Amino acid sequence: MAFYKALAVLAAVIGSTLSLPASADQLADIKAKGVLVCGVLGTDEPNSFVDPKTRTLVGYEVDLCNAIAKKVGVTPKIKQLAVAARIPELQQRRIDIIAAALTHTREREAVVDFSLTTFVTGQRVMVRKDSGITQLAQLANHRVVTVKGGTQEPNMRKAVPSVQVVTFETAPQAFVALQQRKAAGFVNDEVSLLDAFGKLGPAQKDYVILEQSLSVEPLALGLRKNEPALKAAVDGTLHELEKSGEAERLFNRWYGPGTKLNFPKRTFRIDTDRI
Amino acid sequence: MIDLLQNYWLYFLLGQYPEGPLGGLTLTILLSVSALLLASPVGLLLGLARVSQHRALRWPVTALIFVVRGSPLLMVIFWAYFFLPSVTGQQTDQFPTMLIALAIFNGAYLAEIVRAGIQALPRGQMESARALGLSYTTAMRRVILPQALRNSLPSLVNQLVTTIKETSLGYIIGLAEVSFIASQINIQVLTMPVQVYGVLALTYFVLCFGLSRIAYALERRLARRPISSGAPV
Amino acid sequence: MMELDFSVVLSAEFRSWLIGGLVLSLQLTFITLLLALPLGIAVALMRLSSLAALRWLGFAFVEGIRNIPLLVHMLFWYFGATALLPEAARAWLYEHNAESVCAVIALTFYTAAYMAEDVRSGIRTIPATQTEAARALGLGAAETWRRIVLPQALRASVPPLVSQTVSLWKNTSIATVIGAAELMYQAQRVETASFRGVETFAVATLAYLSVSLIITALSIAYQRRYPVRPA
Repeated sequence: MAFYKALAVLAAVIGSTLSLPASADQLADIKAKGVLVCGVLGTDEPNSFVDPKTRTLVGYEVDLCNAIAKKVGVTPKIKQLAVAARIPELQQRRIDIIAAALTHTREREAVVDFSLTTFVTGQRVMVRKDSGITQLAQLANHRVVTVKGGTQEPNMRKAVPSVQVVTFETAPQAFVALQQRKAAGFVNDEVSLLDAFGKLGPAQKDYVILEQSLSVEPLALGLRKNEPALKAAVDGTLHELEKSGEAERLFNRWYGPGTKLNFPKRTFRIDTDRI
Repeated sequence: MIDLLQNYWLYFLLGQYPEGPLGGLTLTILLSVSALLLASPVGLLLGLARVSQHRALRWPVTALIFVVRGSPLLMVIFWAYFFLPSVTGQQTDQFPTMLIALAIFNGAYLAEIVRAGIQALPRGQMESARALGLSYTTAMRRVILPQALRNSLPSLVNQLVTTIKETSLGYIIGLAEVSFIASQINIQVLTMPVQVYGVLALTYFVLCFGLSRIAYALERRLARRPISSGAPV
Repeated sequence: MMELDFSVVLSAEFRSWLIGGLVLSLQLTFITLLLALPLGIAVALMRLSSLAALRWLGFAFVEGIRNIPLLVHMLFWYFGATALLPEAARAWLYEHNAESVCAVIALTFYTAAYMAEDVRSGIRTIPATQTEAARALGLGAAETWRRIVLPQALRASVPPLVSQTVSLWKNTSIATVIGAAELMYQAQRVETASFRGVETFAVATLAYLSVSLIITALSIAYQRRYPVRPA
């Protein structure tokens, strides 16, 4: 009887040490596991989206994640997330890096660390031409739609306090709402708006993206706090990509001339994590 | 409409598989069956705890069942999604999260069905079993539960139907079950929302109505063999 | 274990969001109840009608609606059905809380289908002798229903109907997917803005539980005053 009691105590002690969170070197854990898990949106062309022909996840951020995994020497695993779940998933250790159009803001610095800024965009509003709206201020007392869980809603309310905002689970769902005339405007970051605009095809003549920006959004990869080794590895990879010109090639591949978005050239460099 | 079906039937049935995780109708069915298989032992244990003599077991379980049944399923899913990992120390994806949330939610409901089934039996059953020298556990296992649960097969099939409908809430945490896939298809196609959501509704209807008809047939077959009513044989 | 800080979630701004959500959830529940109960009674009567066509229609209504998840109902009405409306009607709808209107429509049909079954079982518990006696006393068919059978049947149906009401209250949470700013939607919003998931969801869960409890308590009080009298 006493033997079994001792065995139980021993098992409990071993069990509790095994379930303690791993000590703070995530990079070493990743190398040990052999897998780097990146959280992406999967509904955000061309950052991360499902290519309908191959049914795989591809995009600018997917490529960045693959490059980092290659540098660290592990296999990349791409996981799809909802916008609102990005930070919780990182905090709960279900992903290693957020590569999901995450805006670097001061408020978020309290809960996550950011890599070098990987993309600079702004949030703007798409409206129907027949609504007669040409200025942000005209959206006062009107409805706009956007996605849940991001900075779009607060930014819109700051810009036009009397606006009514309705949010949906994914940005494309909100865009459908705009097309069904459920709202006067659709708020999203510039790149996603241009992508949605591109998808309209012949219907483009009915829509316009308002000139004024709601905000400047530096997008960066999100990392858990206090992981200096991982941050160094991630920033190191990004520096190398920038120096070798690969970063610019990646930009052109997804955003440059000839793509759906057709940006003439890149207006930023990947070299800083200050905002 | 034919185009719609032709282009997207594979995506609707399988999601991204094999180019990605399993999704669509297959995932819905897999998730429902697994959740019910998991919820059954959970429900049984919770139901037994609810009729237990030991207050230390009865009260916390009653409180847990009260909280789970009083909350919307969506709330239980959010709790599982955001906080399960910190409690168990394990990482959990959308599928396991949904599985556990459904197992707990349906387990709480099944517990009440088990409890009601047990308490519907005449006390004479337990009393005579104990008088014959059987221990509490053996009496439960061989006398009470078989009778209490015999009539629960139709309820179980009905619970499967309910579970299939509940899996649709995986949409909200981004699980690629059939409702999420249908919405993705709608977003791509854009001009046929009635058809897309109509096909989705029809799919659920065929699945759930078919199963509930099976449950109804089972119920009628079992009605021919009534549970002991305590009257002398 | 992380430190819990409820003061953030209960701060003025977030509190107003959550309260606004709670109010809308209660409104959705109440309006749906007002619409679904009569509809449910009507469908129950259809299912017990002597006309086969009406019986079949009632059956189709109940089975068609109950076998489709509420989420799909909501998506259908908001993204599907609205596309079928004429331009003017659509524009008007969108100016007047389309999200809540579509949520109420979806919830009404869904709840009515379940309530119809509860009312139908309630009617079936009334023994045929009641109807027979009423007819023997010279009451017409409609009067028999109105004065003898239905009042007793409805009283017998109160327990399952109350249970449906609690389900309805919880089902309003699904309206978040079509953008209705009810309690669940606002809880998600507060969680995003405050990064305080545990506290936010704890408060929201407490709200759901409290109202469930109040509804059940009201029903117990009602049943004390108007007990179900066996025939």
